[in-house]
Amino acid sequence: MRVTKGAQIVAGTALLALAVAACGGGASDTGGTATGGGSAETPVRMELGEPQELLVPSNTTESEGAETLAALFEPLVNYDENKNAVEAAAESITSDDQKVWTIKLKSGYTWHNGEPLIAQNYVDAWNYAANQENAQSAGYFFGRIDGFADLNPGEGKTVTTKTMKGLEAVDDTTLKVTLAAPFSQFKVMLGYTAFYPLPKAAFGPDGKVTQAYGEQPIGQGLFKMDKAYKKGTDQTIDMTVYDKYPGTKPKGWTKLQFKLYTDSDVAFNDLQANNLDIHDSLSPAAISTAKSTLGERYQDQPDAGVGYIGVPLKYNPELDKVDIRKAISMAIDRKTIAETVFSGTRAPADDFINPAIAGYRQGACKACTYNPAEAKKLYDAAGGPKTLELGYNADGGHKEWMEAVANNLRQNLGIEATAKPFEKFAAILDELDKKTYKGLFRMGWAIDYPSAENYLSPIFSTGAIATGSNYGGYSNKKFDDLISKGDQAATVEEGLKFYQQADDILNEELPYIPVYFYRNNSGYSTSVKNVKINLLNQIEWAEVEKV
Amino acid sequence: MGRYIIRRLLQSIPVLLGATLLIFSIVFALPGDPIAALAGEKRADPNIVAILREQYHLNDPLLLQYWHYISGVLFRGDFGVTFADVPVSQIMAGKFQVTINLAVTALIIEAVIGVGLGLWAALRRGKATDTMILASTLLLISVPTLVSGFILQYMLGVKLKQWTGVDIFPIAGISNGLRSYLLPGFVLAGVSIAYLTRLTRTSLAETLRADFIRTATAKGLPRRRVVGRHALRNALIPLITFLGADLGNLMGGAVITERIFNLPGVGLQLFDSVYLREQPMVVGIVTVLVLIYIVANLAVDVMYAVLDPRIRYE
Repeated sequence: MRVTKGAQIVAGTALLALAVAACGGGASDTGGTATGGGSAETPVRMELGEPQELLVPSNTTESEGAETLAALFEPLVNYDENKNAVEAAAESITSDDQKVWTIKLKSGYTWHNGEPLIAQNYVDAWNYAANQENAQSAGYFFGRIDGFADLNPGEGKTVTTKTMKGLEAVDDTTLKVTLAAPFSQFKVMLGYTAFYPLPKAAFGPDGKVTQAYGEQPIGQGLFKMDKAYKKGTDQTIDMTVYDKYPGTKPKGWTKLQFKLYTDSDVAFNDLQANNLDIHDSLSPAAISTAKSTLGERYQDQPDAGVGYIGVPLKYNPELDKVDIRKAISMAIDRKTIAETVFSGTRAPADDFINPAIAGYRQGACKACTYNPAEAKKLYDAAGGPKTLELGYNADGGHKEWMEAVANNLRQNLGIEATAKPFEKFAAILDELDKKTYKGLFRMGWAIDYPSAENYLSPIFSTGAIATGSNYGGYSNKKFDDLISKGDQAATVEEGLKFYQQADDILNEELPYIPVYFYRNNSGYSTSVKNVKINLLNQIEWAEVEKV
Repeated sequence: MGRYIIRRLLQSIPVLLGATLLIFSIVFALPGDPIAALAGEKRADPNIVAILREQYHLNDPLLLQYWHYISGVLFRGDFGVTFADVPVSQIMAGKFQVTINLAVTALIIEAVIGVGLGLWAALRRGKATDTMILASTLLLISVPTLVSGFILQYMLGVKLKQWTGVDIFPIAGISNGLRSYLLPGFVLAGVSIAYLTRLTRTSLAETLRADFIRTATAKGLPRRRVVGRHALRNALIPLITFLGADLGNLMGGAVITERIFNLPGVGLQLFDSVYLREQPMVVGIVTVLVLIYIVANLAVDVMYAVLDPRIRYE
């Protein structure tokens, strides 16, 4: 009797709750996706965080938006398994002097609205992106093109032209790009989101990309948007394979659904319950479970990012001596940090170039080997400072490993080392600029394009102090020269030789101290197979198969 | 009564203005440039930062910025745009829909279960049932939402589905319509259920001992009627107060639940917006939350008058 009563209460509650939620309405109800497996109409469901901005290629510099756009657009080049750039939407990309580049487009590509893809689409998109008036966050990618300066006269000045003189559509299928200075890696850059073209339909009467376009981009790639993505309201981004896509289409399925999650562990639960098919950012907490429950469906592969301890060379002369930096580096137990603090989601760093990219050499950084005895000797001999501060931004899960490094330094060097939290990474940079902070700082680098050059020039070249990410203020003429030689080299491979020589200088001088390489930890459900993740951390959709 | 309601609503205007100005200045005072925050860890192009700051009036003094904002809200009903150029009202509409669904689900669950259990316990005071209910409410109070949320999600959402193959409780998102809110609603209601049970039990037990109940029983009314009409109605007053205030709490306190169950609600949005220094978004959400509190309190006061004719406002 009592049991029955209890059951009634529970059932009544459930009914009432349903009734009330029904009054709410509004929320989109796609339902029915729980059946799993089988039909081509069931979408492949992929985990995604909420894109920060509307979906405009030139204003997307974060991974979630880039992942979405990569499904909608065909880049000029893709990256093959040997880490080389291979033509995708481009038929050929050639240059005699590494300065003037001729890009021939493949025929057969059309925009999702049916219009053909023409060279002018690239010219329009790139000029738009580079123009400072449009305040596009990826605008700086076009900095190497001749005429970029005209579109970026600086703060408070008006832009007098709308085009870069280095950009020209010779005919419908030929694009001529003139760079301000030779750059042998230009072709490698072209796979990045910022270099996608834009159709005529993207621009409003005022010449700006419209909000409607940002919500429902028209691309020329494998998938097209089913409907506009209303930021803030929609929890899925739905796509269907574009019929007229001339490249390889996935076998046996046509629908792709990005599901937005705020918490990666929640997505992992959904994966286990088969409500989600692909999850490519498993948290350290999920990984131990993933290994045992997913088995072969758990994947662990190098990811192109690098984590460093930054050295404020420009702001703290006490750290000027190379031996001090070497000693600090040798005192860090990278292996334990990678395995224990990061539960194996990182690998110990032994070069400034990541193993995922061509140009990496195992053990290139000799001072990256753990050697506490030698470290202590070196540090004392060089007269290193008795106290060191290690700044980190508290918003990104860096506390544990920075504490571990501080611990290493305390024990192995016999100094006072403390980890100091900052509210955001920008706060560290602010204090460095104002010279109110002289400590070491945490730093990470995720590549923009898969070239060894991208680990060197933007962080360590003299030019990057003012305009790039050289937060330490490192400057070395020989290094700059080697980079420039690499830029001017006749081929990508020849350029690589010079970049490796520049890398040697870094490994010898340690302007930053590399600590770990990122790894990509992903998992997929029982309804899909053959999930491959490329150098840009994006899924190769054409390869994915349904089970 | 009508005059009372109008007066209360008018009083809410200075409350709203004060609250928004306060929140506006707090977000303004937080360190860090909102535009730089957009760029993440890479240094934002100073050129672009300058242009965007100009575009979003970030160089103006606080009061002028506030005026820009509040005049838009008051005269045009325009809550401004986020730094991604999406109208704040568009985002708020979607997010509040989710949070209101969640909070109302939770409120109903807690009202039904809480009052039901409290009633049951009060009628069997001192017996085993009573003790058991009291013990289990203690358990509910002491387990944090974070823990109960994850456990229930894993047991009911993942394991139950793996074992039985039946998908009863969706564990993330709102794509399953109404069912999506059941489990999170229960988790959100958890602690309140316990308080409400205890409140009901005490309140009812006290009323049951009152003279008028003895009179009602003495004149031969059936027990069901005594409890239902006489005792419960009187005992309801503190419960209504609790539920009214709790609606506001549920909406504000949904941050954790929304995160665990991946519900795109107001709590999460508020968290993100504070993080990104999105002043218009933060102030917009807080304004609506304050409004909800005010209306909920007003509704509670009106309910008083209905339940107990002795309490009448003029």
